[in-house]
Amino acid sequence: MTSIKPSRRSLLAGTLGLAGGLALSGCGSLGRDARVREWNLFGGGDGARLLQIHDKFVAEHKDIAFEAHTLAWGPPFYTKLAMSAAGGRAPEVATLHLSRLKGFSPTTMLDPIPVDLLAKAGITEQDFLPETWKRCLVDGTLYAVPLDQHPFVLYYNLEICKKAGLLGPDNRIKPVKGVDAFLEMLQAVKETTGKFAASVETTNPWRLWWTLYGQLEGEFFDETGTRLVLDDAKALEALQLMGKLAADGLTPKSSDYPSLVAQFTNGDAGLSFNGEWEVTTYQTAKMPFSMAPFPVVYEVPKYAGDAHTFVMPHQASRNSDDTAATAEYIAWMLKHSAEWAAGGHIPAYQPVVASQEYLNLKPQAEYRSVAPDVLFDPDAWFSGSGAQLQNEAGAAFAGVFSGRTTPRQALDQFKAATQKLLDTPSPV
Amino acid sequence: MTTLALPRATKPNKAGGPVEPRFTYPKVAIAVGAVLLAILWLVPLLWAIDTSLKPEPETTRTPITWLPTAPSAEAYRLVLDQGSILRWFLNSTIVAVLVTALTLLVSVLAAYGFSRTTFPGRRVLFGLLIAGILVPPQVLIVPLFQEMTSLGLVDTYWGVVLPQVVAPVMVFVLKKFFDGVSRDYEDAARVDGATRLRIVWSVMVPMSRPILVAVGIFTFIGAWNNFLWPFIVTTDPSMMTIPVGLANVQGSYGLRYAQIMASAVLGGLPLLVVYALFQRHVVRGVGDAGIKG
Amino acid sequence: MAVQTPTRDQTGTPDAERRARPPGNGKPFTEKWGGLFFVAPFGVLFAFFLLWPTFSGLWNSFFNTSLAGVKQEFLGLQNWRDMFGDPAVWDSLKNTLVFTAMSTPPLVIIALVMALLANRKGLLGWLLRFSYFAPFVLPATVVTLIWVWIYQPGFGLVNGLLTAGGFAEIDWLNDENRAMLAVVITTVWWTVGFNFLLYLAALQGIPDQVYEAAAIDGANGRQKLFRITLPLMSRTTGLIVVLQLVASLKIFDQIYLMTDGGPNYATRPIIQYIYESGFTSYRIGYASAISYMFFVVIVIVSVAQFKLFSSRKEAGR
Repeated sequence: MTSIKPSRRSLLAGTLGLAGGLALSGCGSLGRDARVREWNLFGGGDGARLLQIHDKFVAEHKDIAFEAHTLAWGPPFYTKLAMSAAGGRAPEVATLHLSRLKGFSPTTMLDPIPVDLLAKAGITEQDFLPETWKRCLVDGTLYAVPLDQHPFVLYYNLEICKKAGLLGPDNRIKPVKGVDAFLEMLQAVKETTGKFAASVETTNPWRLWWTLYGQLEGEFFDETGTRLVLDDAKALEALQLMGKLAADGLTPKSSDYPSLVAQFTNGDAGLSFNGEWEVTTYQTAKMPFSMAPFPVVYEVPKYAGDAHTFVMPHQASRNSDDTAATAEYIAWMLKHSAEWAAGGHIPAYQPVVASQEYLNLKPQAEYRSVAPDVLFDPDAWFSGSGAQLQNEAGAAFAGVFSGRTTPRQALDQFKAATQKLLDTPSPV
Repeated sequence: MTTLALPRATKPNKAGGPVEPRFTYPKVAIAVGAVLLAILWLVPLLWAIDTSLKPEPETTRTPITWLPTAPSAEAYRLVLDQGSILRWFLNSTIVAVLVTALTLLVSVLAAYGFSRTTFPGRRVLFGLLIAGILVPPQVLIVPLFQEMTSLGLVDTYWGVVLPQVVAPVMVFVLKKFFDGVSRDYEDAARVDGATRLRIVWSVMVPMSRPILVAVGIFTFIGAWNNFLWPFIVTTDPSMMTIPVGLANVQGSYGLRYAQIMASAVLGGLPLLVVYALFQRHVVRGVGDAGIKG
Repeated sequence: MAVQTPTRDQTGTPDAERRARPPGNGKPFTEKWGGLFFVAPFGVLFAFFLLWPTFSGLWNSFFNTSLAGVKQEFLGLQNWRDMFGDPAVWDSLKNTLVFTAMSTPPLVIIALVMALLANRKGLLGWLLRFSYFAPFVLPATVVTLIWVWIYQPGFGLVNGLLTAGGFAEIDWLNDENRAMLAVVITTVWWTVGFNFLLYLAALQGIPDQVYEAAAIDGANGRQKLFRITLPLMSRTTGLIVVLQLVASLKIFDQIYLMTDGGPNYATRPIIQYIYESGFTSYRIGYASAISYMFFVVIVIVSVAQFKLFSSRKEAGR
C-alpha cells in the first residue's frame, strides 16, 4: 500500500543467467539500507490506521527501507504467505493470527524470533500476559510476538438505543444477561429502526456461534486434540438461537461482511455483532456509536476472539541487518500500539494497556475487561482465523440464518466436515 | 485450448452481405435490436465508470443514482496514490511483452525446424509437441510451483514468463502455415547463399506476417490477462501483474466501491484502448488464426 | 485439440517432408543436425516447463509431499484412494460439469446472433463489433470486480433496479441456487466475444456469389438465413462447441474471484479444489493426484471431441 520500490534482488536473481538481466531498475544492492518488508491482512479501517502508523515509523527511521503490503484477509493472505515462505523470498515480517501459529508449520515456514535483538530494542517476556506469551512458543522457541487481542463485541448506535430506552444514565448500554433479556433488547431495537435489530455476517457466522457455544461451556476437541467431542445439545441451542434471530427479523437472513458494515452505518440496524476492528470505519462515518462487551447470553462470559502477532516468515538466507531492523520494527510497533488500539484492538503490550493514552480512548477502552475471557479457536492445523474449520462452519451455518437448512442439518454437515478434516493426515 | 481456423480459401465478403433495398422494416428492426444488445453489453462498463466518478457515500445510496450528482476523480487519485497499481502496470507490460516476443521467437524457429529440416528424432519430438497440446496448463500449477521453488524463480519475472512461452499449439499453427508456403522463394534465397536462419528472417517471417500478427495479438492479450499462473507464482505484491494485484483490492479497500471501480476501470483501460485502435487487426486475426488462449 | 488443417495443404504430407527425406550418413554435421538447433530453444523450454512438471506431478501423487516441507514419505496409492473417497473432489467436478453445461449453449447461440447482427460495414458495424467483443479483452479480475458490484445486495445495479421496480431483491452470489447462474451470466458477458469473432469470420467468408445466386432465385432474407447462412455455419459451430467445452471445463478465475467457490461450496470448481488442497492446505501430493485425475478427464474429452470433429469433417466432404 505504501509506495513500492522495485525489488532489485529478485529481479537480478530472477534472470536465471538468461540474456544477462533486464536492466530494469538500474543500480545494484551494495551498501543499501536495511530492508524491512511487511505483509499484513488489514483492510478497511485497520488498514488505513496501519498506514498512518507506518508513515510515522518511516519518518522516524530514515535508515530503514520499509515497504508494507496489504493482502486480502483470510485464505488469500495465508496462502500467499505460506507460498512465499516455501518459495524462499518471503518478506522480513508479517502479521499472523495467533490461532494459526501451530497450523502454519512454524519450524519450517517461520524463522525464530531473535529474542536477544528484541530485548535490545526494549521488549521482553515481562511485557505480556503470561498466557499470551506461552501461546507464542512452539517447543520452547518463540515464533511470534503478540500485538493485540480482538474479541467479538457489541456495537451500538447511541441514538437508536436511546430511543429504544436501552441506555443507562451514563449513556452506556445497560448490560443484559440471559436469552430472554437479550431477545427483549433486540426486539426494542428492531421496533425503533423498523428494519433490523443487529447486523451480523450471516455468510460466515463462526464468531457468533463460537461465542454462544463458548458461553454454554461447550467443548470441541478432547485434550489430545484428535477427537471431536462437540456437545450436540449445546451446539444446537446456539444454532437455534441464531436461526430464531433471522426468522424473527432481528437480523438479516443473508448478509455478507460489507453489508454488515453498511447496515450498521446507514441505521438499518441499531446494533452490530462483530469483531472490534470497525471502530475507525464508524468514526469516519461520523455516526453516534459506542461499544460494549458482547452480552452474556448464556452461563459464562466467553467471547470468540484471536490475537494478531508478528512473525518472521522463513527466508532462504536472512540478512542480519534486515533482521535487526525487523526487531526494531516489531518493538516500535508494540510501543506505539496505543495508536493501533485506537482501531479497536486491545493491546497485548501491557505498558500500553496501563497507559493513560489507551484508557482515554472511547469507546476502545470500554471492553478491555474481556481480554482474559477471549476464546481462541480450537487447536488444530486446519483451525484458526480464516482457516478451513471456520470456512466449513460458515458454509454449514449460513443456511440456518437464511432458513435453508435446519440447525440439525447444519450441525450434521459441520460435524461431518470437521471429522473429515480430522481424518486428513496433517501436512504440518 | 486452442483453435485455428486457417486462411480462408474463399474470398472474404467485404461488403458484409448481399445488396438489398436500403430501408425495410425488418432491417430497421434488426439494427435496433443490434444496438440494444450492444448497449446491454456496454452497461456493465458504463456502470463501473459511473460508480468510479461518484463520491464514496453516494455509491451505497438507495435508490441508486444514475449519474454522479457531483462527479469527482477523487477515487482515481486515491487509487493512483497508493502506487501499487502503477507498479502492476509495469509488471504486466514487462510480462506481456516478454511472453509475446519470446513466444514468437521460439515458436517461429521451432515451426521452421519441424516444417523444413530433418534431423534424427524429429518425428518423436513432433509427436511430443502434439501430445503437449493436450496438457492443460491448469493441471500443472502444483508441480510447476514446486519446480519454481527449487529453481528460485518464485516472485521473479522469469518465473511468470517462461511457462507461458511454452505454447505447443502456436508451433503447430505456424508449422502448418509454413508447410503451405511455397519453397520457391526459399530455394532462390538459398541459391543466393543465404543461411537457413537468414531464410527464416527474410523469407518466412515476411511471408507469414498476418498470421504472426494474429498470434502476437492473442499471445499479448492472453499474457496480459492471464490470471492463474501469475497468481500462483507471485506472492510478493510488488511482483504481481494487474489481474493478480487487483484481486487483492476488494479485500483491502473495504467498502470503498468508487475506489474499487476506479481500479477496475484503470485495470481494463489499456487493452480496451489497444482494442479500439487495432480492432481491424484483432477481428481479422481471429479470422486468420482463430486462436483461443 | 480441435484443429482445422490449412486449406492449402490438406493431404497431410507437407512437401517439405517429401523433399527432405532423412539424409544419408555421408551428410555433413550441420546438414544432419542443423534442424535440431531451430527446435532446441522451444524444446528446452518445453522440457523444463511442460514435460518435467507433467511427470513430477505424477511422481508427487505417490508421496505425502507438503508445501510446508516438513516430511516426504512414499504413500503408494493412498492419495489416489483418498481422492476417490473424497466427496469434495466429486462435488467440485460436478460443479465444473454443471458450469460447462450451463455456459456452453448461450456462449454459442448468443455469439451466432451477434455475428449475424454485426456483419455490416460502416460506423454502426464498427460500434457493434467493439461492444460485443470489448469485454473479452478485460482481465478476469476487472470483470469480476465489476460484476460483484453489479450483483451487490441493496445498492448494486441489478438489485437497485429490481427494488426500484417493486420486485424482491435477489441475493445472487450468496444463494446456493443462484450463484452458479450469476457466474454463468458474467462468463457469457465476458467471453462470448471470442466465439462471436469466429462466427463473424466464417460469415464474412461466405462468397457474395452464393447470396447473389439466391437473390436471382427470388429468395427472401429469412430464406437466405435458414437455407444458406446457417447451414454454411454448421462446421464453424462444431468447432466453437468443441473449443468452448474444453475452455469451460477449465473454469477457475471467475468463480474463485466472485464466490470463492461458495456459498457452501456450491460453485467450487475442481481447479479451485486443487489449488486449495495444494496451497491453502499444503497437501502437494494429494493435489497432484487430483490434478492427474482431472487431466485424464480433459484428455478423454479432448480426444473424443477430436475424433467426433474429424469424423464430422470427413462426412462433410
